[in-house]
Amino acid sequence: MKRTFFHTIILFSLLFTACEKELNQVPLSDASTETFYAIPNDFVQAVNATYASLRAYPERQLNLSETRSDNLYAVSDGGVRDWEGINSFHKTIASNPYVTEAWSENFNGIFRANTILDQLQKNGTIITDENLRRRLEAEAKFLRAFFYFDLVRWFGDVPIIDHPIVAEEANSIPRSPVADVYDLIMADLRFAGDNLLSPEQYANTDKGRATKYSAKGLLALVHMTRSGPTYGISGPGLGLNEWGNALELLNEISASGRYSFLTNAAGATSAYSNIFSYTNENNGEVVFDIQYISGASPVLGATFPWLLVPDTWFQSLGFNTQGGLTIRPVSNDLLNSYEANDLRRYFSIQTGYTFNGSTETRSFFKKYVDISKVPTNNRLDWPINFIVLRYTDILMLKAECILHGAAGSQTEVDAIVNQVRSRAGLTPLTNVTLAQLMEERRKEFAAEGSRWHDLVRSGLVETRIPAWIEAEDVQNQMQNFVKEYIIYPIPQSQLDVRQGLYTQNNGY
Amino acid sequence: MKAILCFFKNGACLFLLIVFFLNFRSYAQTKISGQVSDASDKETLPGVSVTIKGASGGTATDTDGRYSITATPGQVLIFKYIGYNDQQVTVGSNAVINVQMTSSTKSLEEVVVIGYGTQKKGSLTGAVATFNADNLEERPVQRVDQAMVGQMAGVNVKQTTGSPGKGMSVQVRGTGSISAGNEPLYVIDGFPLAPSAPNGSGNYASGNPLDNINPNDIESIQVLKDASSAAIYGSRASNGVVLITTRRGKSGKPKITFNAYGGTVERSKKLDMLTGEEWIDRAIEVINGQWVASGPGRTAGQTTVERRQVLNSGLAADKQLGPNDVNTNYMIDDRWTQSGYPGLRIIDWQDEAFQRGLTQNYQLSASGATDVVNYFVSGNLTDQEGMVKGMGYRSYSARANVEVNANSKLKFGINLSPTYSITDDPGVEGKDNILHQLVSMTPVQEDSMGVYANTGNFGQYRWSTSPNSPIGKLENTSAQTKRFRTLATVFGEYKIIEGLNFRTTLNLDHTDNNFKRYIPYTITGTLSSRQSQLTANTSGTYSTYRRQTFVNENTLSYNKQFNKVHDLSLLAGASYNSDKFDNAEFNSNGGFTNSVITTLNKAAGITGNTTESKNVLLSYFGRVQYAFDGKYLMSASIRRDGSSRFGENTKWGWFPSASLGWRISEESFLEGVTQLSDLKLRASWGKAGNYNVGDYSGIPTLANYNYTFGGVQVIGQAPNRIVNPNVSWEVSNTFDVGLDFGLFSNRVTGAFDVYTKNNSNLLLNIPIPQTTGFSTLLGNTGEVKNQGWEFEISSRNLTGTFQWSTTANLSHNTNKVVSLPGGQNQILIPSSFDIEHSILKVGEPMYSIYVVQQQGILSQQDIDNNVARYGTQIAGDPKYVDANGDGVIDANDRVIVGHPTPDYSWGITNNFRYKGFDLSVLVQGQNGGSIYSLFGRSVNRTGTGLVDNVLGTWADRWRSPEDPGDGEVGKAYSTFGRIKNTDWLYSSDYFRVRNITLGYDLGRIIKTKQVQGARIYVTAENFFGRDSYGGGFNPEATNTNLSGSTSFPEAGDYGGLPLPKSLIFGVNFSF
Repeated sequence: MKRTFFHTIILFSLLFTACEKELNQVPLSDASTETFYAIPNDFVQAVNATYASLRAYPERQLNLSETRSDNLYAVSDGGVRDWEGINSFHKTIASNPYVTEAWSENFNGIFRANTILDQLQKNGTIITDENLRRRLEAEAKFLRAFFYFDLVRWFGDVPIIDHPIVAEEANSIPRSPVADVYDLIMADLRFAGDNLLSPEQYANTDKGRATKYSAKGLLALVHMTRSGPTYGISGPGLGLNEWGNALELLNEISASGRYSFLTNAAGATSAYSNIFSYTNENNGEVVFDIQYISGASPVLGATFPWLLVPDTWFQSLGFNTQGGLTIRPVSNDLLNSYEANDLRRYFSIQTGYTFNGSTETRSFFKKYVDISKVPTNNRLDWPINFIVLRYTDILMLKAECILHGAAGSQTEVDAIVNQVRSRAGLTPLTNVTLAQLMEERRKEFAAEGSRWHDLVRSGLVETRIPAWIEAEDVQNQMQNFVKEYIIYPIPQSQLDVRQGLYTQNNGY
Repeated sequence: MKAILCFFKNGACLFLLIVFFLNFRSYAQTKISGQVSDASDKETLPGVSVTIKGASGGTATDTDGRYSITATPGQVLIFKYIGYNDQQVTVGSNAVINVQMTSSTKSLEEVVVIGYGTQKKGSLTGAVATFNADNLEERPVQRVDQAMVGQMAGVNVKQTTGSPGKGMSVQVRGTGSISAGNEPLYVIDGFPLAPSAPNGSGNYASGNPLDNINPNDIESIQVLKDASSAAIYGSRASNGVVLITTRRGKSGKPKITFNAYGGTVERSKKLDMLTGEEWIDRAIEVINGQWVASGPGRTAGQTTVERRQVLNSGLAADKQLGPNDVNTNYMIDDRWTQSGYPGLRIIDWQDEAFQRGLTQNYQLSASGATDVVNYFVSGNLTDQEGMVKGMGYRSYSARANVEVNANSKLKFGINLSPTYSITDDPGVEGKDNILHQLVSMTPVQEDSMGVYANTGNFGQYRWSTSPNSPIGKLENTSAQTKRFRTLATVFGEYKIIEGLNFRTTLNLDHTDNNFKRYIPYTITGTLSSRQSQLTANTSGTYSTYRRQTFVNENTLSYNKQFNKVHDLSLLAGASYNSDKFDNAEFNSNGGFTNSVITTLNKAAGITGNTTESKNVLLSYFGRVQYAFDGKYLMSASIRRDGSSRFGENTKWGWFPSASLGWRISEESFLEGVTQLSDLKLRASWGKAGNYNVGDYSGIPTLANYNYTFGGVQVIGQAPNRIVNPNVSWEVSNTFDVGLDFGLFSNRVTGAFDVYTKNNSNLLLNIPIPQTTGFSTLLGNTGEVKNQGWEFEISSRNLTGTFQWSTTANLSHNTNKVVSLPGGQNQILIPSSFDIEHSILKVGEPMYSIYVVQQQGILSQQDIDNNVARYGTQIAGDPKYVDANGDGVIDANDRVIVGHPTPDYSWGITNNFRYKGFDLSVLVQGQNGGSIYSLFGRSVNRTGTGLVDNVLGTWADRWRSPEDPGDGEVGKAYSTFGRIKNTDWLYSSDYFRVRNITLGYDLGRIIKTKQVQGARIYVTAENFFGRDSYGGGFNPEATNTNLSGSTSFPEAGDYGGLPLPKSLIFGVNFSF
């Protein structure tokens, strides 16, 4: 009897010793970082995931740049929308979801880029193809610079994170002056410009990866942004004179011959719309874009096409609600600024529609909507790329540099502007001024998320916005604009996470 | 109504059938007499009811406990007395029958179930609440958690949903964890079930431990409240442990019982919304306001035709409004001003959706025991139609508890309980779900569309909210959850030597759950999309999960008394626990290709995936219990748990406890105090854990972040979290001091406990700088303290022919945040809807409500005086308190205005018995908590658009300085926006008459040999009550994650159903 008892005890002890190994469970449905970065393809996938951090970029530009600018008069319309505080210059927007998103998503992208750079350093020898290894490093650096430049333009001073960090380390890294952040951005972009491939060197299935010209174009814009006025705030402008540096890079891009300015075919007037055509993606205008397709699972489609489009417009055309909610009306100021017959207006803007017997007379941006391509089953799955930097922009930036005193002639400037105007069906101008150039940009790039940045870089924002509010705000819904509103507040959650680590931007 | 009639017809048939089978016979009668006394103190008992089974009439004992009654040999005398167990004696040849009755409540000899064993109630040193499930089968409750409402001090059951069959939230002594769940561990007949915390929305998406457990099989429930009693369950015990014991056979004749009830279920509350007429009045005000504000020269006096002209002026001909076109923002429906609203229909959407449903339940069980075998088998069918169209719950369950004594040393047994349930819910509760939509749905619609607006071939009324008719959705959505769950336990017990037992158990809890939803295109989209796209808008889902919990436990126990004064109990054990969860989900992608078939093979495309996860828990535990002379009691336990959920270095943890008890009433110096029958002082301390985090919390994982290049999908992978390799258990330290007392021969018994529970090392998604790439890191930090007291009393107030007893409980709990991660003073809980309204602040209760305070309405004088305003507020808008005094109202003016958990909760049950009648009434309530209702946001926000319906309070809104309304609600057309303020703050106080049951002992009129007992009863459940929640249906509802965050989930109400009230009739037979 006693033997049975002791046998039982021994049996169970053995059983349980065996069981203790079972405490080392590993995830059954997710990979763990300990087993990743083992083959070259893992690094490619890691870079792909960093590109995925770009997916929210277009919406961010439409919410934070377009909606804040004089292009939209999106005040309260029955309900209160998250864009209201952005549009109407509310003071307490430190918890606004768009502001919060801009900080978190960019830093998440930076984390992914840093993780690759770190792993390349530790395990990079796994990649025996030296060219691939360097390309991946350059792509990661391009993306890191891209995210940082976005951060600088929204928030001014931000913490510099150039390697993966843990929470304790993050708790001790304060915001760095904008100038220091630019140093990292420029170093990254220079490396990327030197080591990325030229577009034709990529396979078709790699179209959309950053090229050396994407890097150079972005670097040019960085130089120009640095050359904008400081306004006495720690914003993106440093008051430097780097127009020449920018022009040099921009010239390099146009000299490469890899890009083209889409022009109207004889008798046709469709070149402008062709830039954004669903059937003409990766066209000659595209220097860098963010790519989307429909039908993937999980979805890889876009949402920015309907972001500024009221739901009832889609409904009026027999489609399901997309998600733009209520109308964000185009400002009268923008509508009135279009010259008669400007083709771009009717491509970019829809005026008036009737749904369910109720007529909306205001206007909205529908630039990216091809009504024949509305996804039937998933409103998050629009198959259209978002062009971040297009060749027309390269040309107009050139003109801007020249007008700011970089090498070049008024003739060049006029030629560029008139090329753009001609495509839009407008008559040419002579002796184009900087103000005229910026006005042309406003219409050319309407709804592309460029307006706020243009106002800031050009120095116009300080006078232009108060005057516009005065004229446009008949409903008396907007707050006063102060120059501190050029950049956004640091998200409240980040101020709370560690008292004293960051201080809030002035004015908020 | 037809269904109800049908039920009564069936019920009547059943009744006649039973009567038909009854035999009416008579026997020679003799006179029986005797005396009834208390079995423990031998005192005689007056007022004991004495009846003859199956016969009418009866008698009661006199002041000396004596009775006499006329009966026939072979008949059975039943002795009933409140607070004592019923006793039955068969009449034999002896004319004198003396009876000793044993006390049923709070008997010190009563054995209660504790972790891994049982203990005499008198020897308990921990805080244990007991719920006797005696009359549970007479209540229309589908779930065990529902049955526990209001029954035990310190055990707070929140009925978070009005959907039949869905899991609720149970909290023992408040909430101590911020994000790792506050639900107790459930142990059924010794089998610890896998804990399951509700998701952020407050739903149990992957199952609740009490799903499908048939409450009618429950014998008793014990809740281990303090750590000294619970700590034997170690890392899962910090939220308390609920021990559920199912029924066993009792020795004696085999007993067969049949219980059937049927009745109706309907809503217990209707929300006061604007009527159609009031809605029109408000809509006109808003439209005029919008019109006047939209441009110069526009006046409220302009007619629709004039407004059309104004709008058309300056517009190109093709953009102009036609003669029948309107702009609904600026123009009214001219029919609103015509008498009888020609062509329109006023609809009360709530009345259209709610119904009186039928509920019925049948339970048949057989039980008995001999020296060799002890058995209880039961079968149960319950069927409840919802109080809302399209909802319902059906369940079938069976149970077999069998124990066999193979020989004098070896005993083994099996508990087997297969169950199957079907729940229909078209998606009623929660934000943007049907209830939310129907409450705010425009109460004026085109008469031609009626309640089916915007479904099928009906379009949408121009001035209506856009959802497809909620009635159409309720009737046409098919969404069904089918759950098959089996609980199985096999155990063996071997007596090694006298007093030393070895017990081993193998337990399996297996759940297969599948959910199928089908939404036809006819109730989606707009009229034009329905007509143009047809089944491309149809959608379907099929998802399934399988949960398997396997537990093996082995214990050695030793009980011995030495020298008649030393009682010693020892326990040692080990357990292995694994929990596996497999999940699969398939969704239609691109609509269906067929309008009839609802399965996904007819979907145009399918997306789907499967995932699995597993965790293992290993434990060793031991306990010593010692009592000296029945006076001085001590107990100490320890457990060591190892869980696969935690980091390499922190997998194992120790969980000790100790407690002392002193039965003062046993001391000689109290011998003379005869009124005091029992007095015991208890003190305990213990440490328990909470391991409710994801299965692989210590392991950094990657997730897919795909992208596309050149039109081709590419796979991207990146870390989806950063982890803390030292992540470990949450720890709770509980101190408890309690006093148990019994007065007047235990006619009054009670207990009082005071406790402090400190939860530290909280498993918290600590906010970290997002420069790390992530916003939170799961770690152990922060501390929350719960303090409170509990009082329970039960008393036999009246004895005699008319008997009355009362049990009552009252508990008080306060909780406060002691510290937060990184020395932070506060964490604002994110909100999915506008700015934050909830805060974790050191020194304040968890999830305190943090909003701007409203104080009346702004007057022109206020504005002239430059009072602080929010944005562009004008006269007639609400006035807010400028808390920080900076002259403007903004988010910085938020202050703490309340906390969600109640300060006091209480329950009181009164039982009355008179002759064959018995009546019991359970009243329950809570006080001191608040609700911040985001459902209020949808039906009561400043500047609500004209189409949405709003709360009835808007009828008393500010209209002009001369007509300021009730001073609470501002004008209808306001454009300043909104800020989270006290508009949506409500007290969560309520009291509810949970249950009233009136029964009658049919044995008094039906005489038969075959039927041992018969009873009819009527029960009103949730029939009366009152709450202060004007912005919703149920103050305890949770159905939506208000924070939208998984780090700081905040389950709240965004459209929860009222509690159902039911009226049922039942019969109860035992054979």
